[in-house]
Amino acid sequence: MSAKAPRVFFREAIARAIAEAMRADPRVIVLGQDVGAFGGAYREFEGLYAEFGGARVRDTPVAEAAIMGIGVGAAAAGYRTLVSITYMDFVMLALDPLVNYAAKLRFKTAGRLTAPVVLKTTAGARGQGVAHSQCLESWLMSVPGLTVVAPSNPADAYGLMRSALRADGPVVFVDHKRLYPIPGNAPASDVPVPFGQARIARPGTDITITAHSFMVQVALTAADALAKEGLSVEVVDLRSLAPLDIDTIAASVSRTGALLTVEEGQLTCGVGAEVAARLRERQGGLNVARVGAIAAPVSSNHVLEAAAIPDVERVAQGVRALLRARESGHPNSVCSGGGPGAV
Amino acid sequence: MLYRLSTPGVGDEVVEIRVLQWHGECGKAFAVGELIVELETHKALIEVRAGQSGVLRRVFAAEGDWIRVGEPFAVFSERPDEPLGEDTETAAVFLAKFVVD
Repeated sequence: MSAKAPRVFFREAIARAIAEAMRADPRVIVLGQDVGAFGGAYREFEGLYAEFGGARVRDTPVAEAAIMGIGVGAAAAGYRTLVSITYMDFVMLALDPLVNYAAKLRFKTAGRLTAPVVLKTTAGARGQGVAHSQCLESWLMSVPGLTVVAPSNPADAYGLMRSALRADGPVVFVDHKRLYPIPGNAPASDVPVPFGQARIARPGTDITITAHSFMVQVALTAADALAKEGLSVEVVDLRSLAPLDIDTIAASVSRTGALLTVEEGQLTCGVGAEVAARLRERQGGLNVARVGAIAAPVSSNHVLEAAAIPDVERVAQGVRALLRARESGHPNSVCSGGGPGAV
Repeated sequence: MLYRLSTPGVGDEVVEIRVLQWHGECGKAFAVGELIVELETHKALIEVRAGQSGVLRRVFAAEGDWIRVGEPFAVFSERPDEPLGEDTETAAVFLAKFVVD
């Protein structure tokens, strides 16, 4: 890559985006557990406390509802707050200020007040058990007024965080534990990624896979494996879950003729269900299947954890099953995960 | 005799490691236990200490460069003037102690 896009750790892309926003706008502040001198659970806030001090980079107690409430209130009062809730599971405790206050403020005040608050949180299974492993982003997609983004690599983490820290309304920025070890090239200067724009992560002709966050990496690996079987898989990285870029997905599926949605979260009312339904509304007959978690909590037992969430083989199986079904003329009965029709 | 120094395996998730700081240039003789280089993963610092004595002869990754896990990134020799071959794959493994901070 050129010197303009240095290779960085995932955490460094996030830290750089926040630092640049804080330099550009003195109203940007950071609140959360261990965001200060400790630098964040994944070191993603490293350097901020030293540069901007304790007044703008504030360690908080373990009290998610309070952190979120303060973050939303400060945003309504003129700050731009970044609230860090380390594990997405604990966003549950922060839903009232996030949903009832931040997301609705613009509607309730006829646009006179906004809450420019960014909730940054980390989802995903990585050996930490039932209450530290969940992907709950589909819960938040259904909230009017909330923007939900989920990058799959350092460049998009940087670009989406830049966009989030200049947005007028509340943004939920969801990353994933397993993305942190994967470095990538991130823009050296301010290149935001607009909301509502998916990205073709890998072009292909036989089937479209939509995914977000770490599952993009899984889908890309599955696509490599399937290429050896002669199957050409197009991978669409959603990047933004609300708003969803249905145009890009529809254009892809119109080329490939089949859609497999992949997510680490639950299938019921999940991201894939939403993608498939919107696409079905847009165009007629649709060869579609979904891959997601089984309908069970994610265990801290590694074997059971692996059994619960999608992996490369399950994604590859989903692709093969859907394409077989399409050839046989019975396409609409395939899904991998919980629920009826699971494979 | 020539030796190659490779990155340690640090869990199946880590595929690339970054060089943070070298503690000596080519030509320097390292004694057992001496700090050679510090490496950086997404989470941890790794001190690489000599597990045998040897002279650092060639460095493939400067500070700030990325190395794929398992790839050789430096060549050592027993004596300072041994001729260097081009093929590091045939060199023996340089013994090192990897201390994760």
